[in-house]
Amino acid sequence: MRRAVLVILTSLLLAQHASLNAAQKPVLKLPLRPKSVRFAVIGDSGTGKPEQYETAKQMASYRDTFPFEFVIMLGDNIYGTETPADFKTKFEEPYKALLDEGVKFYAVLGNHDDPNERFYKPFNMGGERYYSFKNGNVQFFALDSNYMDPAQLDWLDNQLPKANANWTICFFHHALYSHARFHGPDADLRARLEPLFAKHGVNVVFSGHDHVYERIKPQNGIYYFVLGNAGQLRVHDLRPSKETAKGFDTDRTFMLVEIAGDKLYFQTISRAGSTVDSGVLKKQSSASTGAAAHAAAAGSGYAGMDDGYR
Amino acid sequence: MKRAIIRLTLTVCWANARSQERGNLDAASIDNFEARVAEYVKLHNTAKEKLARLTPTDAPSAIKRHEHELTREIRGMRRQARQGDIFSAGISAQFRRLIGITMKGPQAARIQDSLQRAEPVRLELQVNAAYPASVPLQSTPPSLLMNLPKLPPEVDYRVVGDKLVLRDVEANLIVDFIPHAIP
Repeated sequence: MRRAVLVILTSLLLAQHASLNAAQKPVLKLPLRPKSVRFAVIGDSGTGKPEQYETAKQMASYRDTFPFEFVIMLGDNIYGTETPADFKTKFEEPYKALLDEGVKFYAVLGNHDDPNERFYKPFNMGGERYYSFKNGNVQFFALDSNYMDPAQLDWLDNQLPKANANWTICFFHHALYSHARFHGPDADLRARLEPLFAKHGVNVVFSGHDHVYERIKPQNGIYYFVLGNAGQLRVHDLRPSKETAKGFDTDRTFMLVEIAGDKLYFQTISRAGSTVDSGVLKKQSSASTGAAAHAAAAGSGYAGMDDGYR
Repeated sequence: MKRAIIRLTLTVCWANARSQERGNLDAASIDNFEARVAEYVKLHNTAKEKLARLTPTDAPSAIKRHEHELTREIRGMRRQARQGDIFSAGISAQFRRLIGITMKGPQAARIQDSLQRAEPVRLELQVNAAYPASVPLQSTPPSLLMNLPKLPPEVDYRVVGDKLVLRDVEANLIVDFIPHAIP
């Protein structure tokens, strides 16, 4: 009898050990197409706390199977004071494995960031509050949502049509759509930005600020993601609505993105290494973005591209 | 009847004249503000010329050093600076009026909402003091920025509680502020 109990206990322990190992082993849901654009997304990361380090470790682990070239940072890159020691403990050390392998980081400013972070070379901002860069067939626009002044709006309006790429992605700190209780969406920012996004055919928008993960159903033909929990977390802060496609607010996350042709594949992974969301988005047709531009300018809630999700 | 028409005509003319006069006053206030800001930017650039140019660097210490040196130079050049030096009483009144119009218009609810969601901060302000590194910078609603006089890139408008702050971006310095600016 005692032997039987011991055997059962040992089997249970072994099974638990095996399942833990399985959870830690990266399970990639991205297709790894040849010549695809591959990147990771983190937001509100710079706490310097163990959870940031653990999430960063998970990113490095996934990079072994999904060799992403760069990371976009959605702001609040360095919380609290910004001494050289803070840059070390809140950025350089947690992401050391990635930095050592030549992964580039492209940051935007959050409300907790000193605007002079734009001069910190590893953030690749070139000394500017807002900037653009291209990778493969994707043009990225990094914006400063803390201070969306007429000069920045004019720059965006002039630069977006010059984007000579198949995909246009904008990223900035404050979310235009969010169903997190603590902050929620910035309606005034949305009123100024979304008509420009729709007019110029922006495909995808990434934001942080709310310390949760949320994928929003397409709004005015544009795909929106909120990811503000790569370091910070507000547990159970999400109040999903009919606009929410998927949400996660019980642990830290980061995203992996792969763009190949007219498809964008994404996988959102928790600190523990489990996949909390994944899917594929089809690039919007210019006809749909034209209709969306009209709808966004008129302020309607047109959302016609949700068939891209699975 | 004729007397009523004459009275009405005179009233309209008087109202037009008042409006014209107020428009001129508004324009004069804005010109005055822009001249004061230009004067400050000149001082900022003079201070900056004394320092090595800051370009993107791997060393956060170099960024902080530059910020502190610029702050020290500017403080030294405007030791007597007081609240109201740039936002004089007349300019402040004009700003309060502009902000009031913006925040009572059709976009009022949107702007209030934006301010609330931006992580509002409360802070004792002092001209020539650095904006504290550990306090988040509240975002300024874009619709508010659209309705205020444009600024050169060396300075920006920030909201702190009900105050509107003019901040030196690179030196992270409070240049001036208007108390009770945000209704």
